Amino acid sequence: MGQLTFSNLRKCFGAVEIIKGIDLDVQKGEFVVFVGPSGCGKSTLLRMLAGLEAITSGEIRIDGVTVNELPPVKRGIAMVFQSYALYPHMTVFENIAFPLRVERMREDALREKVEAAARVLQLQERLQQRPGQLSGGQRQRVAIGRAIVREPKIFLFDEPLSNLDAALRAEMRIELTKLHKRLKATMIYVTHDQVEAMTMADRIVVLNAGEIAQNGAPLELYHKPENLFVAGFIGNPKMNFLPVKCKAAGPEGMEVEYEGRAITVPVAPRPGMEGRPLTLGIRPEHIRLGGGDLAMTVTPTVIERLGASTVVYAALPGSESENYCALVDGAAPVRADEPLQTGIMAADCHLFDENGVAFERRVEMTQIDPELLAAAG
Amino acid sequence: MMSKPNTMIDRYRWYELAGIYAGVALFLGFVLAPFVEGFLVSLKPLTHLFSSPYRFWPEKASFDAYFTMWERVPLLGRYIFNSILIASVGTLIGVILITPAAYAFARFEFRGRGPLLGAFLAVNMFSGAVLLIPLFRLMRTLGLLNTYFAMIVPGVAFIIPTGIWLLRTYMLRIPQELEEAALADGASRFYTFRRVILPLAMPGISVVAIYSFLTIYAQQFIYALTFNSKTEYMPLPVGLYAFFGRQDVIWNELMAASFLGVLPVFVVFIFLQRYLVAGMTAGALKT
Repeated sequence: MGQLTFSNLRKCFGAVEIIKGIDLDVQKGEFVVFVGPSGCGKSTLLRMLAGLEAITSGEIRIDGVTVNELPPVKRGIAMVFQSYALYPHMTVFENIAFPLRVERMREDALREKVEAAARVLQLQERLQQRPGQLSGGQRQRVAIGRAIVREPKIFLFDEPLSNLDAALRAEMRIELTKLHKRLKATMIYVTHDQVEAMTMADRIVVLNAGEIAQNGAPLELYHKPENLFVAGFIGNPKMNFLPVKCKAAGPEGMEVEYEGRAITVPVAPRPGMEGRPLTLGIRPEHIRLGGGDLAMTVTPTVIERLGASTVVYAALPGSESENYCALVDGAAPVRADEPLQTGIMAADCHLFDENGVAFERRVEMTQIDPELLAAAG
Repeated sequence: MMSKPNTMIDRYRWYELAGIYAGVALFLGFVLAPFVEGFLVSLKPLTHLFSSPYRFWPEKASFDAYFTMWERVPLLGRYIFNSILIASVGTLIGVILITPAAYAFARFEFRGRGPLLGAFLAVNMFSGAVLLIPLFRLMRTLGLLNTYFAMIVPGVAFIIPTGIWLLRTYMLRIPQELEEAALADGASRFYTFRRVILPLAMPGISVVAIYSFLTIYAQQFIYALTFNSKTEYMPLPVGLYAFFGRQDVIWNELMAASFLGVLPVFVVFIFLQRYLVAGMTAGALKT
């Protein structure tokens, strides 16, 4: 049992079920990111945890206490909103002090706490200004300051970086990670941005249509996605999917056939799938120029040169609409409309059955990131 | 001419400018002519008022009327005081009632909210005059005739619907997240209303206050005329009848007193029109 537990949590708006039975345990001090496309219910889930949205059925427990009916402040949570929700008519000091004023804390203790929070967030110089005079990043920090002073058990962040420009977002990501290290508090963070999820999370919970699609450490999600949805959602550019046919299952893995050529993908084999259509997944960054276990000649239609890397888009043979995307070296000798020899290695491949469920890859997580695996417990 | 405007959309050709100013002049002419004429009359000695041929410009202009009127109608000061008192108290009561009501209409879901708001609009279709007789009977039954109460309450009743509409619209623009943030920080609904909503709605409340004051000030005549017969409670518009003599009307002093009566409204407007315009147009809530 962790510090925070969801059990069979559901939420309906009228007849529409938004959250379809979530079960989740969060350990003390973990940084957990809820990620998913818009409308997947991630914000609703956070608002239910915050006490802003009623729970239709199921249970939320914090430190062993059921909090379903408790008001936000009694749950020991503090929330940072997407729009920051700063009070424009109050100074930065009063904004940060607001929760303490509600508690009627004595003036000297209050001043001490606000100043301590301001020090952590480097806002000492700004305390007498109003939110309107601050930059986006500073407003963000004020909003975090207001959450810090209450010393909550759990911090909730609702897409806090989505209003910032790209450079500032990268900067705030680092600041938030540092803050988490310093406070050692449990943080629940909602975002639609997989980069934020991958970079900050101890653990990512991928939500799809009100259900948990997968729950695991960032690199686990990257290397061992459990289903098509997670495979397509994590990683940028998105994973390529090739329609293949199952030929045989053996101790080496599953042998599949693509366009008449066979490749054996090293995954946990499942016998009895012969002749069934499967989906082969290959990340753009794993496509090599030249050849591989499975060689493919494609004709690029669009080439994006980013300097450090080059993104090649080509139409798959057999289907004109589906893009085949490859991420290759920045100086790669590729040209639009000129045939290009590419190849993929069997060890890089992912394989999914007709229901989109992945065959487990033979990748030891300890080989990828031993430290992270230990941290995720 | 002023310096050239920076934005291209503000640039006009000379004939467009001429057209704009001609239009403005025509409009202002119609609006302001009665005031100019009234002011000029107040400057003329009474004997010159009916001279023929009529002169628009006074021959021997003087401010005498502004002094003699106090002697002819000794209660004039009291009338002006009554006018301001009725409008001020009415505004105060109105704002106290409108502000929480507007908040409720802006934020709470309750049965009949839509129909109630619609009904408020419908109330505005009746002028006070239509309801004068029923109101008179009501006031008589309650024994409230010849009191300040009788003049204040109907005025307040008629500003409430419009006031609620104005302020509700304003409050709808206050982001809901601000209240949720306050709730998450443990604030009660009332605490949030007092510390967050009220300060942020201040421009909107100012608009309602100004609107209320102006409306009550302008409308008090009809209620005062009907519900009050005590001289010392009369507001200025009714008090002006004192200048109507048995045989003639002291026009110059009447005009002088009228101008003095418009003055408070004028002052209020000059001081607060900044808020009026800002409150009506601005989003005002960039966090």
